[in-house]
Amino acid sequence: MDKNKKIIELKNISKSYDGVTVLDNIQLHIYDNEFLTLLGPSGCGKTTTLRMIGGFETPDTGDVLFLGERINDLPAHKRNVNTVFQRYALFPHLNVFDNVAFPLKEKKVPREEIEEKVTEMLKLVKLTGFEKRNVTNLSGGQQQRVAIARALVSRPQVLLLDEPLGALDLKLRKDMQQELKSIQKATGITFIFVTHDQEEALSMSDTIVVMSDGRIQQIGTPTDIYNEPKNAFVADFIGESNIVDGIMREDFKVTFSGHTFECVDKGFAKNEPVDVVVRPEDVDIVPLEKGMLQGLITSVTFMGVHYEIIVDINGFKWMIQTTDFAAEGEKVGIFIEPDAIHIMKKSEYSGMFGDYSSYSMEMDELSVVESEDEE
Amino acid sequence: MKMKPAAKIYTALIFLFLFAPIAILLVFSFNATKSLSVFSDFSVKWYRELFKDEETLRALQNTLVLAVTASIISTVMGTAAAVGIHRLRRRYLKTAYDTVTNIPMMNPDIITGISLMLMFVFVGRLFGLSTSLSFWTMLIAHITFCLPYVILQVLPKLQQMDPSLPEAAMDLGCTPLRAFFRVEVPEILPGIITGLMMAFTLSLDDFVISYFTQGNGFQTLPIRIYNMTKKTVTPKMYALATIIFFTILALLLLTNLVDEDDSRRMKEARSAKRAAKGKKPRGDSNKRGMAIVGAILGLTIIIIAAIGITRPKPVELNVYNWGEYISDGSEDTLDTIKAFEDWYLEEYGYPVKVNYETYASNEDMYAKLKSGAVSYDLVIPSDYMIARMAAEDMLVPLNYANIPNYEYISESFRGLYYDPDDMYTVPYTYGVVGVIYDANQVDEADIGTWDLMWNEKYAGKILQFNNSRDAFATAIYRAGNDVNSMDHAVWDDALQMLAEQHPLVKSYVMDEIYNMMESGEAAIAAYYAGDYFTMIDSQSDNVDLQFYYPEPTNFFVDAMCIPKGCQHQELAEIFINFMLSEEPAVANAEYIYYASPNSLVYENEDYIDEMGEETMEILYRFTDEFSDMFNQYAYRNLDQETLDYVNTLWETLKIS
Repeated sequence: MDKNKKIIELKNISKSYDGVTVLDNIQLHIYDNEFLTLLGPSGCGKTTTLRMIGGFETPDTGDVLFLGERINDLPAHKRNVNTVFQRYALFPHLNVFDNVAFPLKEKKVPREEIEEKVTEMLKLVKLTGFEKRNVTNLSGGQQQRVAIARALVSRPQVLLLDEPLGALDLKLRKDMQQELKSIQKATGITFIFVTHDQEEALSMSDTIVVMSDGRIQQIGTPTDIYNEPKNAFVADFIGESNIVDGIMREDFKVTFSGHTFECVDKGFAKNEPVDVVVRPEDVDIVPLEKGMLQGLITSVTFMGVHYEIIVDINGFKWMIQTTDFAAEGEKVGIFIEPDAIHIMKKSEYSGMFGDYSSYSMEMDELSVVESEDEE
Repeated sequence: MKMKPAAKIYTALIFLFLFAPIAILLVFSFNATKSLSVFSDFSVKWYRELFKDEETLRALQNTLVLAVTASIISTVMGTAAAVGIHRLRRRYLKTAYDTVTNIPMMNPDIITGISLMLMFVFVGRLFGLSTSLSFWTMLIAHITFCLPYVILQVLPKLQQMDPSLPEAAMDLGCTPLRAFFRVEVPEILPGIITGLMMAFTLSLDDFVISYFTQGNGFQTLPIRIYNMTKKTVTPKMYALATIIFFTILALLLLTNLVDEDDSRRMKEARSAKRAAKGKKPRGDSNKRGMAIVGAILGLTIIIIAAIGITRPKPVELNVYNWGEYISDGSEDTLDTIKAFEDWYLEEYGYPVKVNYETYASNEDMYAKLKSGAVSYDLVIPSDYMIARMAAEDMLVPLNYANIPNYEYISESFRGLYYDPDDMYTVPYTYGVVGVIYDANQVDEADIGTWDLMWNEKYAGKILQFNNSRDAFATAIYRAGNDVNSMDHAVWDDALQMLAEQHPLVKSYVMDEIYNMMESGEAAIAAYYAGDYFTMIDSQSDNVDLQFYYPEPTNFFVDAMCIPKGCQHQELAEIFINFMLSEEPAVANAEYIYYASPNSLVYENEDYIDEMGEETMEILYRFTDEFSDMFNQYAYRNLDQETLDYVNTLWETLKIS
């Protein structure tokens, strides 16, 4: 990615439908050749943001800039931006070749050139030999590839992808993630990718934009977002987190759960209340007497690679991921390294996340399914 | 799936119930005679007659022109409306529009028809037009009732469509309009095609709405058929109905083919697993649908062209007559209208176009004129209606100088009560009610008076009129009272007699009288002399129908007159004069079979030969004493109070 060339800028963008705010003062730069992901739960405004760039929505206030030029009122067909839609939106009355050739025919490209470009594109998405096939008879993954080929064939400067992998099964999704990434590298086109799947976002993106309630919560690289979440929402949405109330005694010293810990954060006021994030994999279970904190194991689930253990410490349920077995009902000690503790300023999301007292696998899965249905 | 025997029988019964009428129609369209009871011989005569009948073919052409235009326009408008409704963001608005567009579908046709007519007349008056109804109003009416059906077909297709398809097209470089045509239209095409076909069929067979909104010179087929009911519907209409039935059937089959194709394709799309074979490219069914629509439109246009599109001519004469009440060129008769047009062109050097339209009853004609939505130059109502129209100042005094042939009208047809000063009318035909009986079943000794209809010997063989005025009249004439009496006692007395007669009556009938008498099912009935001769022509071998006049009896006269609002009075008078001249007058008399007041007819040797001595004797019995008999015995308008009273009595009789 080229940090010197801002291809798209969103400035002070707000949008509401029927009095409900969907986007609230969005500021975003997207650089050339970047793989940028808009990540958030359904209803967070990520799809609306994408549609604004695509030209299907206009902002109530604020500007959309393309290479520095205001394009608020430029209709979709005049933007050098193409979209891969959630359900692919292939044209059912055209075959594979004609679907891919569609944008070229609209631009009145000569026939030989169309033939050449379509063949090249189909090769890129590994669909050579499928030219005459009926698009409705293709599998989900194949339809996906046609949609990508069709969106890329006219060489747009930006490709928008609206949850393109949502309808695929897990294995296919993993393959397509790799493939999308390599297509992006091969073509050098800026990808703006929308998803609610944090793993997908972490594995593919150069930059992740975490959104919630129409606002951008954090912009950063996948490691920044994971390691240095800005608030409880981000910490909870990206990976698993134990989030507890703490008080910053001074630089590098924080008190939570009745114990004062060494940490690596500084710059807070003395005795400032903060949110403390500890990732489940960063908590060690140690014998009772060696622990900084003590608790009771209330549940143990075998996950394959590791165990997921819920420990009740002073009424707060912590999640711990460890490869060492511990039995339910056992009293254990807890040990946390200073660099495993991440301190965040209090935010509107404080206290809403990070407690595993109501945690169950089933609930989690249900909520994922729901959010997929909604979009 | 296997059906149980009971289910099979049930299904068979339903099919029988549905298709028996059509099967009968089909069979009798190939009958060599007019009879509806006896199939005498296979013949395609009625089909030949049909294609010689210019007025019917013109009506067919009008119907097709209307159906094609209305269905195309309503399909375009309906599709646009469906797209508009589909794009509405707010759900309640969507539901509201959807419901509102569906209302005309639920609305009874008759209400749609009346309200449209009212609107057209109202708007017409607003712009000071004397005639507001025309081809265009009828077209608007047809578009109005077809529109919701198109929307109903297209809207679900839009809802099934992936909403991001048009966005994808725009994303890939189409303007919104182009995206609509390149992507949305192919997707919803099956709905558009079905909508188009539905609109076409609906427009083709609409009667009620057309009836209220038709204008001058543009009569559709259903209306023409309806108006033939003064006399019996001729079998060429069976032929036409048969052709129409099979055309519509073919259309329906094609529609289903498109639909099935569509649903098959959807199924294929769902089970993408079987993709590997991937043989048929998907555009197929749309192409087929287009081909079908193309074929239908092409065929229709060919038919229209074949019938010959009528070019508007400088002078148009609008004539409004009973159905089947003029010699029309069928079965080698004189085509009166064409003869007039030819004669006029030769005589005056410029062309005239007669728009000939028909009605089924005096009341229909009256309502149409009264609505003020159309204007006619010539109408031919019956006596009592003429009296009413004259009283309501709806008639124009004739300039008899333009009708020199009036001198051939017998003196005994002057000064009749409905036009005592001979200002408004020229009589066209007249008829006298007599008693028809089957000599094979009825004793000669019993005939001669109205008493035959009360003769207990013939219980179960007697037919009585199924309308109050005519039924009561038989009793009042029998009692020797005045049929126009305002005295309740006269009517009470008649009711008493009808009640006595009730157990003897086989049934109360109107048009069925023909079949029941021709087949010998019934033996005694009162009817017009002219119709008696029509019955003789089709009577069964074992039936010997005879006729006599009881005294007194009823008379009617149908006369030509010019209604207020006519556009070409002089031309109408020239037409009346032409109708009185020897050749057309004789042709009409022979065709209609009623008596003529024109001496050029009843003194014409060929006519007398053609009719035969016996027929002449019956038809023209009253020629000399007509005005006396008519003015004394014929029906006149009753006042509302008496009418209501008679109707109440009639209800009591029918209930008993």
